[in-house]
Amino acid sequence: MPTVIQIVFGLISALIIGAAMMVVLARNVIHAALWLIACFFGVGALYLLLEAEFLAVVQVLIYVGAISILILFAIMLTRELEGARQLARGWRLWLGGAICALLFAGVLVPTLAGHPWNVPPPLGPAGTPEVVIGAADLGRGFVFQYLLQFQVAGVLLTVALIGAIVIAYEERGRRRRVLTLAEEHELRKRQEPATAEPPAGD
Amino acid sequence: MYDIVDALLNRTFGLGWPGWSVALIGHLFVASLLFVVAPFQMLFFTYYERRAIARMQDRVGPNRVGPEGIWQPLADGVKLFTKEDIVPDVADKWVHLIAPCVVVAPTMFMFAVLPWGPGMVPVNLSVGLLFFFAIASVTTVGLMMAGWASNNKFALLGAMRAVAQMVSYEIPAVLSLLAIVMLTGTLSVVELIAYQGGLFIASADMPGLPDLGLGWIVFTPVGLLAFLVFFVAALAEGERTPFDIPEADSEIVAGYMTEYSGMKFGLFYLAQYLLNFLLCAMAAVVFFGGWQGPGVGWLYAQAISPANPDGSGVFNVLAGVLGVFYMLAKTYGLFFVMIWVRGSFPRLRVDQLMDFGWKFLIPLTLVNVLSAALWVALTRWGPEQGITFTAGWSPLLRWGAAFVATGAVNIGAYLALGRVYATAQAGRGRVDVDELELVTTTR
Repeated sequence: MPTVIQIVFGLISALIIGAAMMVVLARNVIHAALWLIACFFGVGALYLLLEAEFLAVVQVLIYVGAISILILFAIMLTRELEGARQLARGWRLWLGGAICALLFAGVLVPTLAGHPWNVPPPLGPAGTPEVVIGAADLGRGFVFQYLLQFQVAGVLLTVALIGAIVIAYEERGRRRRVLTLAEEHELRKRQEPATAEPPAGD
Repeated sequence: MYDIVDALLNRTFGLGWPGWSVALIGHLFVASLLFVVAPFQMLFFTYYERRAIARMQDRVGPNRVGPEGIWQPLADGVKLFTKEDIVPDVADKWVHLIAPCVVVAPTMFMFAVLPWGPGMVPVNLSVGLLFFFAIASVTTVGLMMAGWASNNKFALLGAMRAVAQMVSYEIPAVLSLLAIVMLTGTLSVVELIAYQGGLFIASADMPGLPDLGLGWIVFTPVGLLAFLVFFVAALAEGERTPFDIPEADSEIVAGYMTEYSGMKFGLFYLAQYLLNFLLCAMAAVVFFGGWQGPGVGWLYAQAISPANPDGSGVFNVLAGVLGVFYMLAKTYGLFFVMIWVRGSFPRLRVDQLMDFGWKFLIPLTLVNVLSAALWVALTRWGPEQGITFTAGWSPLLRWGAAFVATGAVNIGAYLALGRVYATAQAGRGRVDVDELELVTTTR
């Protein structure tokens, strides 16, 4: 059994790492975004392998279904960036790479060194494997144990929502919209005052 | 399935294969069965839709190939297979190639949690309902890929419209299901169906009721409103008229599939009809009890099941056949309503579509979530949850009180929101004199 799990784990990890590499190596921004989606999908599969069904499904729903769409939209709406690539060359490239590697190592090395490896899976009361935490337990955790964090996250999202509305809102007087056919007709009538009849109100 | 394969391989043949290979064979068998069933559903749906819409438009419809034109879908399939596959020179070849697969694969995935009959579910996931909608949202990525890779204005416009529409209408669909999840307390599709036994009142709410498999959620005010909202959202997700603006052929050729031909176009077509089938089937499962119906529960109680290991195999077959019959009858019935809507309504404008989703359906579903909480409080909760006044009531009285209260809330919300929405829409249709003044002075 563990051999099969390990083979599957190896395949999924290869997918995630390969896709993540392609995200930074792809020349086309849209291709990079698509590889990122493949990477998100691999992470979802990894959750499924850990028997965290709910997390896997939410990963697909939020990251693949929503965030990736947002990324694609953002890229398509900023077309100017698509062709222009300012690639660093020479010592700048090496310096940038070294800084990135150092920062990454600063996060990764303490985790790798300080993590207790080969932890046996948790056991339930009578030596049986512990019951997998389901959606109901997660929900209970959110509304009882971690209520404050949950509410703060909710407030944060609401603030983001209101901010989006404030940014997107235009005052009525400044709004420029396409005229409907009826309005075009009305406009034409007003621009020819000689033949126009008095407007019949609205 | 695991048990059958295990019994066949390890006990009958004595091969002693390990558990994982048995599970793999079992799931592969079920998956290949579904891969055979799904395209046939699609073939039937195309014929069904063409004949039904023809009847509504006072035409005959396909009637030449075979008796009553029943082989028409097969002929269309052969045509699609033998057509030349054209890829535009300026298209992004790989993304253009992969996009149809990214659209079809999620729809096939969604079959994994769809229950066909009692005990007949490919995978009984504990979060099946959520899985269904999470996977459904992956198709939008495929649509975006198709629209972008074609390098065509109409394709990109269609993809943008499709994605905007799907992202907007996912919210009311999921929120209406949230109310149902609150009523039943489960995310598993199988348990959702098991809840809907009984006779017009779910037997979970009132023990001792005869189980005729008619305790459907749609018979409660919360369920009815949730069903209506879900069905409208399903029309939008499946890109059916009146929500077919992503592929409005009179405006933008064929939307995101403008540059596709041959079997790649066929795959988009397949995905669309499969999605419609799945949405109808899911509506049947969640709101109309899936395979529940008179007789199935009794037959399944006699059959071999985890609860009753020494039943008779004949009853398994009988319960399965009757269950699948009910399930498909409900699904085809709901699809008929979709065709009916297509035959009756004109296409919406983009702004009408967005307004309807965001300003009418979403507030309505939010009110419905409140009603669901009210329903649960009135029917289930007792003194230990802080509800003391219902302690002495009989189950029927509690159910009746919940029915009246949620019904009043839902109807009130519908009327109030409908008024506000109608006023806002009427404002849009009027010629805006202030705006005109502004335009005339600045031009």
